[in-house]
Amino acid sequence: MRNSTTARRCLAATAATITIGALAACSGGGNEPASTSAGTDTAAALTTITVWDPYPQYDDTSVWAGYVKACAPSGITVERTSSATSDLLNSLTTAVKEGNAPDVVILDNPAVPEAASSGLLAPADEVGMDTTGFDANLAGPGTVDGVSYGVPIGANTLGLYYNKDILDAAGVDPASITSWSTLNDALAKVTAAGHSGITFAGISGEEGVFQFQPWFWGAKADLSDLGSANAIAAGQLVSDWIGKGYAPKSALTDNQSASWDLFLTGDYAFAENGSWFAKAASELTDFTAVAMALPGKDGGAAPVPTGGEFVLAPLQKNDAAAHYANAATLVNCLVGKDNQVKTADALGYFAANADQRATQIASDPIWKPWASAIEAARGRTTDLGAGYTAASAALSTALQGALNAAGDSAGVESAFKAAAGS
Amino acid sequence: MGSVAPGAMAVSAGTGARTRGDTASGARRPRRFGPSSWAALGFLAPLLAYLLVLYVYPLVVNVSMSLHRFTRATFVTGDAPFVGFDIYREVFAMPQFWPTVRQTAVFVVVSLVFQYGIGLALAVFFRRNFPLSGVLRGLFLVPWLLPIIVSATTWQWMMDPDSGILNRFLGLFGVDPVWWLNAHNSLMSVTIANIWLGIPFNLVILYSGLQNIPTDLYEAASIDGAGPWRLFRSITMPLLRPVSAITLLLGFVYTLKVVDIIWIMTMGTGSSQTLATWAYSMAFGKGASAVIRYSEASVVGTILLVIALVMGFVYIAVQRRQER
Amino acid sequence: MRPTSSAPRRAWWKTAIGLLLTALMLFPVYWMVNVSLTPRAAIRDGGLVPRNPTLDHYAVVLQHQLPYLGTSVIIGLGTVLLTLAIAAPSGYALSRLVVPGRRVLSFALIVAQMVPAIVMSLGFYQIYSRLDILDTVPGLILADSTIAVPFAVMLFTAFMAGIPNELLQAAQIDGASRWRTFRSIVMPMSRNSAVTVGLFAFLWAWSDFLFASTLNRGGGRWRPITMGIYDYIGSQNQEWGPMMATAVLASVPTAILLVVAQRYIAAGVTAGAVKD
Repeated sequence: MRNSTTARRCLAATAATITIGALAACSGGGNEPASTSAGTDTAAALTTITVWDPYPQYDDTSVWAGYVKACAPSGITVERTSSATSDLLNSLTTAVKEGNAPDVVILDNPAVPEAASSGLLAPADEVGMDTTGFDANLAGPGTVDGVSYGVPIGANTLGLYYNKDILDAAGVDPASITSWSTLNDALAKVTAAGHSGITFAGISGEEGVFQFQPWFWGAKADLSDLGSANAIAAGQLVSDWIGKGYAPKSALTDNQSASWDLFLTGDYAFAENGSWFAKAASELTDFTAVAMALPGKDGGAAPVPTGGEFVLAPLQKNDAAAHYANAATLVNCLVGKDNQVKTADALGYFAANADQRATQIASDPIWKPWASAIEAARGRTTDLGAGYTAASAALSTALQGALNAAGDSAGVESAFKAAAGS
Repeated sequence: MGSVAPGAMAVSAGTGARTRGDTASGARRPRRFGPSSWAALGFLAPLLAYLLVLYVYPLVVNVSMSLHRFTRATFVTGDAPFVGFDIYREVFAMPQFWPTVRQTAVFVVVSLVFQYGIGLALAVFFRRNFPLSGVLRGLFLVPWLLPIIVSATTWQWMMDPDSGILNRFLGLFGVDPVWWLNAHNSLMSVTIANIWLGIPFNLVILYSGLQNIPTDLYEAASIDGAGPWRLFRSITMPLLRPVSAITLLLGFVYTLKVVDIIWIMTMGTGSSQTLATWAYSMAFGKGASAVIRYSEASVVGTILLVIALVMGFVYIAVQRRQER
Repeated sequence: MRPTSSAPRRAWWKTAIGLLLTALMLFPVYWMVNVSLTPRAAIRDGGLVPRNPTLDHYAVVLQHQLPYLGTSVIIGLGTVLLTLAIAAPSGYALSRLVVPGRRVLSFALIVAQMVPAIVMSLGFYQIYSRLDILDTVPGLILADSTIAVPFAVMLFTAFMAGIPNELLQAAQIDGASRWRTFRSIVMPMSRNSAVTVGLFAFLWAWSDFLFASTLNRGGGRWRPITMGIYDYIGSQNQEWGPMMATAVLASVPTAILLVVAQRYIAAGVTAGAVKD
C-alpha cells in the first residue's frame, strides 16, 4: 500500500511539474507570432508565415502543400493550418480579435464581403497584392465598397453530370436537354426505365444555396425578392423532383460530396455537381460520366454561381508592415502568372485569368464542357455585398421548406413567401 | 463531449455522508475559522482557482455578451453598445422561440424517459450473472466511445428514406417507408439516436445502484411469497431512488446541452431545432442562421443555464425530502 | 453479495437474449465497420454486407492517423493525472475537513457541469490566447480536464466520506499532519474511485472535439484523433470510408479498456455510498 501511494504521489508531483513547466516553456518560445508581444522592428523578425486554408484533405505530403511552401520568401518557413470552410471565418474572427491572425487566409468567396465589412481584412493595395489580370466575374466577390481585398485562387462552378450508360439504355439524347421541360421529360424516361433520376445537394446552409442558384437564376429570379413568381417556380422545380421520386429524399441533408457518392453508385442518371469532380468523373470505370451545362428554364444554359476561394491578408495589429510584406510575396507567387495554372491544377480548379485558363483548358479535354460555364459564371455576392449572408440564409430556409413540401405547391409558395418576409 | 457524465452515487452519497462527517469529527459546526479550515482551503486552493478561471470567467463573458449588441465587426473591436435586456426581449419575441422551447422539452423528456427506462430494464436483466454477462455489459458501453461524427452519420445513413436499413427493416413488416429526417419527423429521429447514445451511461450507473441493494431483502420478501414484479416495485424502485434522482438530474442537464448528434444528422432543421442547436447556429453563423448573432446566442445560452439551475434546485429539494 | 446463479439452462437462455440485445445495440457499430470496408462507389448502396470489400481505407488510415492516436493517448493520460491532482485533495477537503461554504461549493460543482460547451469555448480562447498556450498539448489537457474535474470531485467526496473515522483519528493521535493523512491513508483507500475517475477522464478527453477544434487547430501532428478524423472532411469532398476506419481504429484501445475496467467502474462508483 505504501508503495502505491508513494508511486501515486510521485506521479502526481511529476505530472504537475511537467504541466507547469510545459506551460511556462510554451509561453516563452513556441510559435513565432509572439510578434504579438510589443511590436518589434524589422521584417527579419518574422521567420514564419502562417497560412490558413480550407483544404484539410491535403496534408503535408500533398502537392498543394508543396506549392505553398515553395512560394515562401527565402529564409522563411510556412506554417499551414487547415480547417473546414464553415469554421474558417469564425476562427479568423477570434484570431483577429486576439491579435493572432495568420499572414494569409484563404476564404470561400461568399464569405469575403462579410469578412471585409467586419474589419477582418487588409486592403490589397496596403498589403501589396497584385490584383490585375483576373476576370471581372471571378474577382467580383473580392471587391467590397470599391476596395479590393484579395484575388481568387482559382474558380470552379456547377454543371450537370450524366450517366451515359443509363441515358443510352433509356433512349434519352443528352443534346436534347436544353430547358427545364426537356430535363423533366428525360427524368421521367429514366425513372420509368427503372433507374433513379437526379441527385443534388439541398443541405441547409450556403452549400445548398450554391446548388440551388442555377435553378434560381435560371428562372430569372432575384435574391432581393424571394416571394416572386420566378423564385417560387424554381422552388417548385426541385420540390417536384422529390415528390415524383426523381431525386432522393436525402437531398434534404446531403452535401455535395454525399450527392456525388450517390451518383457514384451508378443508380442515378444525373448529378448536379461541381467542376472539381471533373477529373474523378473522367476516371470512373463502372460507367461513363459526362458533363454538360445546366439548362435554364426556357432554354439556354443557366447562369451558374462562381465557386472557389480567395486569398486574402487579415488585418494585423502588430508588425503590420512586415506581415503584409510576407503575405504579398506569398500570394503574388501563388497566383502570379507563372504559377496560376499549377496552383489551380493542384486544387482541381480553373485559373481565374482568361488567358491562363485557355491554356489550361486546351491542355486537358476534361475541361471542355466547362469552358463556357466558367466564362458566364456569376459571383453570388456581387449585387448584395455583405448583405448576401442574410439573403442566403433566407433562401436556404425557403429551399428547405420547398424540399419538405415534396411537390405540394401551396407548401412551396408559403415557404418562399415566408422567407421573403423575414 | 459525447455522453452524459455520471456523478450518480457520488452526489447522493455525498450529501448523506456529509452529515455523517460533521458529526463524526466532533459535531463542529463551522462558524469559526479554525486551523482545520486553513488546511481545507489549502487542499481546495487548486480547485477554487480552477473554477474561477475556467468556469466563472466564461460565464461572466457569456452573460456580458447577452447584454450588449454584438455583430461580427463589433466583436472584433469590442465596442458593442450596452442594451440591457433588449436582446432578451427580442429573443422571446422571435417566432421560433416558443416552438424551439417546446421541441427542446419533448426532446429532453422523451430521451430521459427512454434512456432511463431501457437502462433500468437492462440493469435488472444483467443483475444476476449469467455466462458472458460481464463481456456483454462491457460491450454495451462501446457506443459511448465512438466519435460523435461517426455515430451521427451512421444513424443518418441508417435513416435514409430511400435506401436506409431502418426503412428496409420496417418494410419487412409491411410498414411504409418513413421520411425520417424531414421537417416533421426530424425531432423523433434525433431523439431515437440520442436515446441510443444515452443507454450505456444509464446502464452503468443503475447497474451499480442495483448491486448495492442487499440480496437478503429480496430473499426475505420472496419467502413471503412476493412475485418478481412486486419485488421490483417495493424493494428495487424505492431503494434506487437516490441513484435515479441524480441520474435523471445529470441526464437532464446533459441532454439539454446536446448539440452534436442533432447538428450532424439534420443541422437542427425542422422540428429538430432545440435551444442548444439554436444557440450553436447563432453563435457560429451556421446553417440557416448564417448571419452570426453572438448576443442572441448568449441569451439562449443563459436561458439554458437558468433552466439547468432550476432543475438543480428541484433536485436539492427532492433530496432534502428524501433525507427526512 | 452476488446472488447464487440460477440453474444452468435458464442462464444460457439469458445469454441468448443478452447476445440479441447487444447485437441490436451495437448494430450501428457494425454499420461503421461495414462502411469502413466498402469502396467509395458503394458507400451509399446501403448493403448489409460490404460489396467488393477493400482494406484500402485502413491502409490510408494507418499511414496517416497513427501520430494523432499517439497524441490522443498522451492527452488522455495527461488529463487523468491533472484531474486526479486537482480533484483528490479537493474531495478530501470537502468530505473530511471543515470548510466554510461547503454546500455552496458542492452546488457550484453541479452547476459547473451545466455550463453549455459553447459558452466555455469562447471564454477559453481568450484566456488561452493571453496565456499563449493555444495550440499546445498541455493547454488541451487543461481544457479537457474541465470536463472531468467536477464529477471527479463529487465522486472523491462521496467515497472519502465513507472512510472510517477511527483510522483518521488514529493517525491524528500519532501526530500525522493532514497532508500525511491524505497521502498515506486516504488515497490508498480511494484507489477504486481513483480508477473510476481516471477511466472517465480518459474517455472524455479521448472523445473531446470541441476544445480540440477551438484551442488546438494549429497543432499539426500534435492534435488528437478527433481532429485527425476531420482531415477527411475536405471543403467539397468527404471521405467516409477512411473516417469510419479511423473511428474503428480509435475505438479499439478504449473498448478494451472499458471491458477490462468494467468491474472497477461499478466498484468505484458504489463503494463508499450511503451505508445505512
